[in-house]
Amino acid sequence: MDDSTTSPSFGVFDISDSFELNLPNNAIRLTKISENVFSYARKDSSGNITEKIIPSDKDTLRIEFAPIDALNYPAKRTNFMYLDFETPVFLSESAAAKIFVQCPIEMGIFIVNGTKKDSLDWFSCEPEKSRFGLYGSPDSGILCKYYKSHVVNSYDEHESFVNTVMQLNLQNQLGSGHSINKVVFPINENKLYYKDNHCKYDSLNAVLKKKLTVEVLDVEIQTIETDWTEAPPFEFSIPYKRIDMDVD
Amino acid sequence: MMFEFLDSLNAIELTPGMTLLSLFIGGLIMAVGLIIARTVKLLFTKYYAPKLSEDSAKNIGKLLYFGILIISFLVFTSSTGIDLSGLLVAGGIFGVVIGFATQSVVSNLISGIFLMIEKPAKQGDSIDLPDLNISGTLVDISTFSIRIRRFDGTIIRVPNESVFTTPIRSLTSSQVRRSEAIVGIAYKEDISKAITAMETEIMMTMPFVLSLPKPEFRIKELADSSVNIEILVWHPREDWGEVAPKLLKVVKKALDDNHIEIPFPQRVIWNGKE
Repeated sequence: MDDSTTSPSFGVFDISDSFELNLPNNAIRLTKISENVFSYARKDSSGNITEKIIPSDKDTLRIEFAPIDALNYPAKRTNFMYLDFETPVFLSESAAAKIFVQCPIEMGIFIVNGTKKDSLDWFSCEPEKSRFGLYGSPDSGILCKYYKSHVVNSYDEHESFVNTVMQLNLQNQLGSGHSINKVVFPINENKLYYKDNHCKYDSLNAVLKKKLTVEVLDVEIQTIETDWTEAPPFEFSIPYKRIDMDVD
Repeated sequence: MMFEFLDSLNAIELTPGMTLLSLFIGGLIMAVGLIIARTVKLLFTKYYAPKLSEDSAKNIGKLLYFGILIISFLVFTSSTGIDLSGLLVAGGIFGVVIGFATQSVVSNLISGIFLMIEKPAKQGDSIDLPDLNISGTLVDISTFSIRIRRFDGTIIRVPNESVFTTPIRSLTSSQVRRSEAIVGIAYKEDISKAITAMETEIMMTMPFVLSLPKPEFRIKELADSSVNIEILVWHPREDWGEVAPKLLKVVKKALDDNHIEIPFPQRVIWNGKE
């Protein structure tokens, strides 16, 4: 795609003159200001403007607009995501279920140079819902990004550029029924895939089981098969330890 | 030629049992010891120190360096035939005198060793010493003192003895911290409405305030002029500066926007004739 005001969609764009993207709460404009020099500007709903000058060794600039993990706004502090279900899911003894839950995303702008992709900018299209939460007690809990998540019926039930949908494969290996009202997991390990203005995450397997004598919710990633484009990871990740969730 | 030179050195006796040659050999031993100490410290700093915490690495580095130097000195004294027994007797008496004079130095040294073992805080932690009215980032714990970079950017040196005997409050030991503020509203105002207004404004304008645990509002006091409400919010430990200093401003704006009065202190005076 080239030199245009586009209806927003993810992808790789070659810019030779100017390019605009109008997204919820954010407007992006890339302009060629002189030979081999481009300017990048993003204006958010509060009127704040982020500007950058991008020297290029070519006449055109190639960028990738892709979804990224919602870990960066207001600041990168954790890799963990806390999805708090609006409606808890009840699993009776030995039951299994596949559900879809909404998960927040942020937007990333990358400069593409051959196979290398450099992070240029990131932002949230719904900053007021981008919050932190604590899983556990204040003295030993884990800081997470917190999101009030709706349980939905399919991958299609999401708000473009604001959130996406993740499949959760639930299983109860315990001897009694239990409600699951949240999952906490390191979201940077889940790959994001995009196509047009849609995106989706790898699935999660969440198994209620016994580890020694303790009942836990064991959460693991399940890679999905898809022909959608894999979104590039955004910058660095924070070192973390694996956790086992308690059963409610 | 060389042997003749060494023989001539050996012939010069400085003190009984100590020749110029033995002194020369002792000097060589000390020089080799110094080189070994520096090499070991360099190798340790390069290969092992990155795996340890900064203050442990620094202290172990010093221990290795001075340990090798002390061993070299002992080898030097035995090779030169220096008899330290007289020195020890004199040193014993001298030590008592010095001991009294350097009581605080020794106390700081011992306190420093215990601080290094106990590790109440590590380099880079934000700490508060309430009794000394000092807070800031711990720069290092050394042999006699610790250095703290205060939040105003200045560095303060505190003797280890003072640190060891004072309470130390760690501001970065858990991932989250709580900030508090107290605001008073007029008695005529609806408390629930005021709390809802404050909570909404905090959640809208303070992205670092945690959604879970939620901001908490407690009726602190039915005071002389106002109903005092305590506001408690949690935030990531790094972001105290984004929350605590701004909390009262946000709360006042919420109350102003909702026309909720923050009363001035007032006193009702009754005239005796009425």
